[in-house]
Amino acid sequence: MFRKISGHWARVELTLAAGLAVAVTLLILLNVVTRSAGAALFWVDELAIYCMAWMTFLGASAAIHHGNAVAVTVLADALPRSLRTLVAKLVDVIVLGFSLAMVWFCWRWFAPLDLARHGFDLRAFQGATFNFIYAEPTTTLGIKKAWVWSIMWLFSLGATLHSVANLLESRGSAGNSQDVA
Amino acid sequence: MTPFVFAFALLVAVPVSLVLALSAMWYIWETGNTVLFDSFAQKMFSGLENYGLLAIPLFMLTGELMNEGGMTRRLINAARVFVGGFRGGLAYINLLANMFMAAIIGSATAQIAVMSRAMTPEMEKEGYDIGFAAATTAAGGLLAPVIPPSMMFVIYGVLAQIPIGDMFLAGVIPGLLLALAFATVITLIGFFRGLPMGRWFTRPEAMSALLRCLPAALIPTAIIGGILLGIATPTESAAVASLIAFLIGWLVYKELKPRALGEMFVRTAVNASMIIFMIAAANVFGWVIIYEALPQKLAALITSLTQDPFVFLLIVNGILLLVGMLIDGIAAVILITPILLPIAMNDYTIDPFQFGVVMCLNLVLGLLTPPVGVGLYIASSMSGASPWRILRSLWPFLLAVTVILVLLSRFPALSTALI
Repeated sequence: MFRKISGHWARVELTLAAGLAVAVTLLILLNVVTRSAGAALFWVDELAIYCMAWMTFLGASAAIHHGNAVAVTVLADALPRSLRTLVAKLVDVIVLGFSLAMVWFCWRWFAPLDLARHGFDLRAFQGATFNFIYAEPTTTLGIKKAWVWSIMWLFSLGATLHSVANLLESRGSAGNSQDVA
Repeated sequence: MTPFVFAFALLVAVPVSLVLALSAMWYIWETGNTVLFDSFAQKMFSGLENYGLLAIPLFMLTGELMNEGGMTRRLINAARVFVGGFRGGLAYINLLANMFMAAIIGSATAQIAVMSRAMTPEMEKEGYDIGFAAATTAAGGLLAPVIPPSMMFVIYGVLAQIPIGDMFLAGVIPGLLLALAFATVITLIGFFRGLPMGRWFTRPEAMSALLRCLPAALIPTAIIGGILLGIATPTESAAVASLIAFLIGWLVYKELKPRALGEMFVRTAVNASMIIFMIAAANVFGWVIIYEALPQKLAALITSLTQDPFVFLLIVNGILLLVGMLIDGIAAVILITPILLPIAMNDYTIDPFQFGVVMCLNLVLGLLTPPVGVGLYIASSMSGASPWRILRSLWPFLLAVTVILVLLSRFPALSTALI
């Protein structure tokens, strides 16, 4: 069950990530055109960077499902088969630990409970917590940065989903390294 | 405890990006500085807010488009025009085509995969030893991260906070030197062991090969010209190059189907996010490096050994060779730059561009050495020659790279002259 949801969600993540890769390409091309026409659009760079960041975190979460990430596998590969599955399980546990920690960090950062406690009154929330996450603006886009940062929730929760699914599955996520240099 | 956590996670094959993030978490927890947890996710995100990083997905996309668009074959044919008739002609063609490709593709593994498929069967057919054929191709792949554009240089430039366009320029002379060194190796092997004779194209054949390659040649021209003349940032020229590659593959060569674009963008997103996410994780790992004052501590140790920048670079080269054998090149750049670059710049006044070129070339060498030589395994699986057989022919090329590395370490001007 988990495996299925994880697989579906990974597909959604990769589709979105590919769409964002398209967006990055088009935005930079737009930048080239407008700049050479002498009418540069000031918001394009920032938007392109956020698209890339979203693409990255969506792709990184999906990578946990697919088990393709750069890893040092010399030692793990040299282990006897039985031990190797054990180590792979251990890696799954570590990845799950990482994901849960990320969820917790997002929770501390966005502090949704504190926000609700202050009746979603930003001034009262900021006065009480000195957490200015919801006040920070984007430089050129005219929206609050918190919307852009919300990808960290998507990433953390997606990573948690995938790593739980990996852990329940007999297959390990280790031993599947890719090289990119 | 943090170093232990780091080493353990790395060795049981936890993805490198997560090793960095987990070590940072452990360090924060261990030192009781838990207020940093509040901004942990934000710090990760902010590591990506860098205009230069946009070049990574764009250069990857250009590589994908070029592959599907039938440009590789035409570039190889054009190379045939210039060097095809010499003894060992195909080996030189291989090298020259690799140089062309390196001006389009920024990743050694990608280039080795493409070129092994294209060149080794042909070389074998003409009577070359398959190990030598695969070795020449694999060595040629090392040009990819040195001749601009280069994925590694983009990442190094971002980490070192130096202009990526200038970093690309720094790679031009070392790239040419490297190609020259490889050509010398091929000549020497031809001299001592004999290589099959090549055949020159007839004039009409040569004209048609050059003409067909002309559109494809627009891509490296756009990339290098745009950066060299300062018209476009590396990011912009990458976008323009991908557009040109798409249009040529689709409209001129008619080998690229727009339907295949979706799949290509997915691959681009997958591969780019793998690398860029490491940078996000490295940003939180930066806390460990800064709070522990790792560069300062290491500097105290190294400066007690030597005051000479050249000797320092030789020591660094030795360390990097070992690191490169174990860790993927880009991951190693992300890991090592923040630690060693401050020492190189502050204690030895080494130019950051020179340091970057030496470091990147050195780390990419690890692609061709066991035990984790991914480039070696790719060349092996694509050509059918065993890794050992390739290594037997590869060592003169590796030696040539080492000589170039020493030269680059000794003479900063080789890297900085064009900037």
